[in-house]
Amino acid sequence: MGNCLKAQSNDDISLLRGHDSQDSVEQALGPPPPYQEHVQQRMPVYHPAPNVSRTASQLTEEEQIKIAKRLGLISHLPTGIYDGSSKKGKECVICMGDFAVGEPLRILPCMHSYHKDCIDDWLMRSFTCPSCMEPVDAALLTTYETS
Amino acid sequence: MAQEQSALLLRKQLADLNKNPVEGFSAGLKDDNDLYKWEVVIIGPQDTLYEGGMFKANLTFTKDYPQKPPKMQFTTDMWHPNIEQDGSVCISILHEPGDDKWGYESASERWLPIHTVETIIVSVISMLAEPNDESPANVDAAKMWRERYDEFKRVVSRTVRKSQEEFS
Repeated sequence: MGNCLKAQSNDDISLLRGHDSQDSVEQALGPPPPYQEHVQQRMPVYHPAPNVSRTASQLTEEEQIKIAKRLGLISHLPTGIYDGSSKKGKECVICMGDFAVGEPLRILPCMHSYHKDCIDDWLMRSFTCPSCMEPVDAALLTTYETS
Repeated sequence: MAQEQSALLLRKQLADLNKNPVEGFSAGLKDDNDLYKWEVVIIGPQDTLYEGGMFKANLTFTKDYPQKPPKMQFTTDMWHPNIEQDGSVCISILHEPGDDKWGYESASERWLPIHTVETIIVSVISMLAEPNDESPANVDAAKMWRERYDEFKRVVSRTVRKSQEEFS
């Protein structure tokens, strides 16, 4: 589906738990294994600033921390599996594709939902809902306060 | 993967625009085999200095679309505060998102992954009608627009005539 972060496996969890400690960040986003050429292509690409695209090994420490924090926040946002009910909307406005039963979705605090891959890629670039432009971090804080 | 999504999305928009053309512009591929290079013709909006013009522009997408904006460049000569001398369009919705330390453009004014060829061109048409004086891409045009409006009008009407001649 999306052109999204493919490396969102176990790494996310380690980042989440340790995003305040630099050691674990460096471990998770650290230098690539020695067989670089082969790995390089499959390494996730991050966008620490507009017009900047870098693989994990090229990031500065500050950027790594920023990205780890963002990954942590994103992973706190609820996900769901599209079950065919139209309550959540039927189309992902990012890829303009219809949701198919069984596809993973991500639901933002403003209740707009997208394909998980489509929105996760976007949230790494801008932490706002593409539909209503609500800043996701502000909305996250509000949900914490009320719950 | 990335290539697949952007190509799918652009193909869908091309089909939609062919089926339901939008008033004010026409859009298509420059080369039928390349979904990433579009050519659009914008009809100068009514009741503006650009009325009657037929302005050609190229839209160039990357494989990262819709996560990243395309670039737009007029190939017809243009005289407008927000269009560079080389034809490049400078509007905030074509600027990549990201933290903007200076608060110059809010996230909502910048690129969003829900923008399509249609929404981009509609924004450009309204930019033709209402130049944004605050961030000029063509400083000379902006200055003329502000200080010597009559001269600005004359230069624009020359580009309008030229665009018509080139088009036929």
